[in-house]
Amino acid sequence: MNSVRQTQITVVKALAAVVAFIGIMGFVFLKEPVPFLMGLIFGSAISALNFFQLANTLNRAVKMHPGKAQTFAVTQYFIRYIITAIVIYVSITAPYINIIGTVIGLLTIKLIIFATNLFNDKTYYKNIFKRKEDEPNGR
Amino acid sequence: MEPITGKALILAASAIGAGLAMIAGIGPGIGQGYAAGKGAEGVGRQPEAQGDIVRTMLLGAAVAETTGIYGLVIALILLFANPLVRML
Repeated sequence: MNSVRQTQITVVKALAAVVAFIGIMGFVFLKEPVPFLMGLIFGSAISALNFFQLANTLNRAVKMHPGKAQTFAVTQYFIRYIITAIVIYVSITAPYINIIGTVIGLLTIKLIIFATNLFNDKTYYKNIFKRKEDEPNGR
Repeated sequence: MEPITGKALILAASAIGAGLAMIAGIGPGIGQGYAAGKGAEGVGRQPEAQGDIVRTMLLGAAVAETTGIYGLVIALILLFANPLVRML
């Protein structure tokens, strides 16, 4: 299996785990958990689908001519942005979906990417405290 | 001429605020397009590195995209579920 597909599966699995954890916390601590859970599932499902669509877009874009790839990526970005706007609008207007749950579901993927690809790497923490002046090339 | 009510003023200011918040959606679009163009150049130069290039670009683009969603959420809440009107 190629590395892009592997990354997608890792991120979506972690997303499902984190959303399940947040959902259980919401179920335990909130007075009305059902709208929150609906929003959470709605937001995270759309977020995962957007992530897959982004991967498809980039896989296709890198095989194009650079100028065409740029236009293609921007067009696809705005299509995904409109889909997200529709999702947020629906969750604001529908009384059975909580907007906070939807927003948490949409933004959890950022946390997952940081957690799985940046904060689990020890060299990241080492580089924070490393003095740049000590290095011979000054970088 | 009718005087401007507090609610009308809040709604007008919210509409302007929503418009300004939507500017946040442009940046990731330009950035993603630029990255895709450079990625295509990189793959053209070194086709065997396509997997690594797309993987790095995918993670970067997904993180950048959430920044646009912040602005979108603020704009839509100001337009359709304005919490400031209830404070009057």
